[in-house]
Amino acid sequence: MSVIQTNNLTKVYDEGPIPVHAVNHVTVNIEEGEFTAVVGPSGSGKTTLLNIVGGLDRPTSGSVKVDGVELSSMNESNLIKFRLEHIGFVFQSYNLIPVLTAKENTEFIMLLQGTPEKQRTERVMKLLDEVGIVEQADKRPSEMSGGQQQRVAVARALASRPKFVLADEPTANLDSKSAENLLDLMLKLNQEENVTFIFSTHDQRVIDRARRVITLEDGKIVKDEKR
Amino acid sequence: MLLVKIAWKNIWRNKVRSFVVITAISLGLWAGVFGSAFVQGMMKSKVEDVIQTEMSHIQVHVPKFRDEYDGSLYMKNGAEVANAFRSEAAVEAVSERMISMGGLASSRKNGMIKLVGVNPDDEKKVSDIYTKVIEGSYFESTKKRPIVLSEKTAEEYGVKMNSKIIFKMLDVEGQMTDIAFKVVGIYNSGNPMYDKMTAFVKLDQMRQGYGIETGSNEIAVWLNDHNQSEAIADSFQENYSDLEVLPWLDLSPGMRMMIEAFDTYLFIIVGIILVALLFSIVNTMLMAVLERVREIGMLMAIGMTKNRVFKMIMYETVFMTMIGAPIGLLLSGLTVGYFGKNGIDLSGAAYETQGFGSTVFPYLDTESYINVTIMVLFMAILAAVYPALKALSLKPVEAIRKI
Ligand SMILES: Nc1ncnc2c1ncn2[C@@H]1O[C@H](COP(=O)(O)OP(=O)(O)OP(=O)(O)O)[C@@H](O)[C@H]1O
Ligand SMILES: [Mg+2]
Repeated sequence: MSVIQTNNLTKVYDEGPIPVHAVNHVTVNIEEGEFTAVVGPSGSGKTTLLNIVGGLDRPTSGSVKVDGVELSSMNESNLIKFRLEHIGFVFQSYNLIPVLTAKENTEFIMLLQGTPEKQRTERVMKLLDEVGIVEQADKRPSEMSGGQQQRVAVARALASRPKFVLADEPTANLDSKSAENLLDLMLKLNQEENVTFIFSTHDQRVIDRARRVITLEDGKIVKDEKR
Repeated sequence: MLLVKIAWKNIWRNKVRSFVVITAISLGLWAGVFGSAFVQGMMKSKVEDVIQTEMSHIQVHVPKFRDEYDGSLYMKNGAEVANAFRSEAAVEAVSERMISMGGLASSRKNGMIKLVGVNPDDEKKVSDIYTKVIEGSYFESTKKRPIVLSEKTAEEYGVKMNSKIIFKMLDVEGQMTDIAFKVVGIYNSGNPMYDKMTAFVKLDQMRQGYGIETGSNEIAVWLNDHNQSEAIADSFQENYSDLEVLPWLDLSPGMRMMIEAFDTYLFIIVGIILVALLFSIVNTMLMAVLERVREIGMLMAIGMTKNRVFKMIMYETVFMTMIGAPIGLLLSGLTVGYFGKNGIDLSGAAYETQGFGSTVFPYLDTESYINVTIMVLFMAILAAVYPALKALSLKPVEAIRKI
């Protein structure tokens, strides 16, 4: 079953002298359990595509459905709620709330959702264990390495049991060892917990681990290979 | 609860900035309270002075008497009215007066003066002018026709203790009479305007001058509690509809104007402080928000509603206000208390010429305390609204893109 379905998805930026087709008639399906990398040169539209698919940005035309629900018809506050309930996010940086510990950051999403305390604590400990951060549970982001912070971000993204996790260049700020470790972690979660991941990257070693690679150029899909 | 916790922790992220806001709130509150107390203290002592020396709490006249001091407009039943006041529990003392606006003449000068005939024992209970006698005494002399006048008048007319001075007045029939008085006391009330116009003689002698045996054209009343002035005056006014019974505030239009002017000053002072406070909080909170654009964008991206973001920023200001306000109140209480007791010396500032004491004792009634505090708190919270709205106007995508 498709988690994400786009149809002729187009995003045009009209601000400059010439309109930029950041995403240009993209039609693509992402199935549950996939582990997909979106790649392409800088400016090819990766971030724009992921933002639209994640309900952070709106397309100029075309449709995007998550789990069969059309996102472009939703109003702002429904969209926020939809993101909270159904989509996990891992950003390149500034992922975590600086004043909260790893544990509290992971718990944050569930607090917003109003999950009862007992369930929350159990899930947080399980997630921190899965991402290998149990020992850092009470540390704040500033006391952790970049790789550790990204692991906490992954744990936080998974906390709400989202339909899929979106990660825009999650490894861009990491050294190659940490980057590989993070990818291995994501891959493990994908295989063991059947979490659907879709991420963008420039890093060849990251690309090598992907099960499906969608290549963008000038906002168009020029290659889509599964392996 | 979550937002409260995050907001609380956010305050301590940038300690310097939070310190600035907390200081602004406590200093703003302190300045508002202390400034108000200063003005109110100045006002209060002025009012008390005027009441104690010049006006007492209530005065009774025949209507129109005060317009031209027409000698025929006197209360023949003055003694009866005075006794009616005396029998009232709220009344502490009553003094009958007979006043004439007439000519004063010495070898040096002829001029006008308001000569007040008083019974010294009664008068002492409604006016403290006797405590301001600087030479001689307040009618403790055995001289036949004693007069107590001000230092200023003595200088102007070139008279000293025991000098003779002539008063020319019209009696109730409109006939001119001259009376010679001997100076037995010289006073200085501290209010030059009053001093210039006012002198005292004995009530009986003034009645003689008018050619009457009994009656008075002014009755001054002193109450146990000055707040009762209006109520008591009103009730007597009802009983004596042919007389004019006025509480102190209505006796002098100048007084009322002054009190209103002071209220305006107060309003301006507090207003300036509040505006300064508003700007400093808006400014710092705006910085706090703009510095966190990405973080707030991330929060909205992962599912924090605008409502929650707004609350979070508001809580931050509320907390800082909750820390700053008690500090400000404590500071206010201490300084108003200390200076209220010891006074602030302003002898250099030349307020005395306007009839103000040279020492100000700051004072603030509870109501104003509460009002100023509420205004400051309200302003502090209000100041947070703009930065909080600013945070809401952020679009997660744009904020995220900056990452
Ligand atoms: N807010 C915007 N206004 C105008 N043009 C924009 C805006 N955001 C992106 N673009 C343009 O859209 C195109 C796609 O940008 P996008 O950020 O999606 O590329 P990307 O593949 O993520 O690049 P990178 O690898 O550098 O992150 C670029 O040409 C970019 O300049
Ligand atoms: Mg990008």
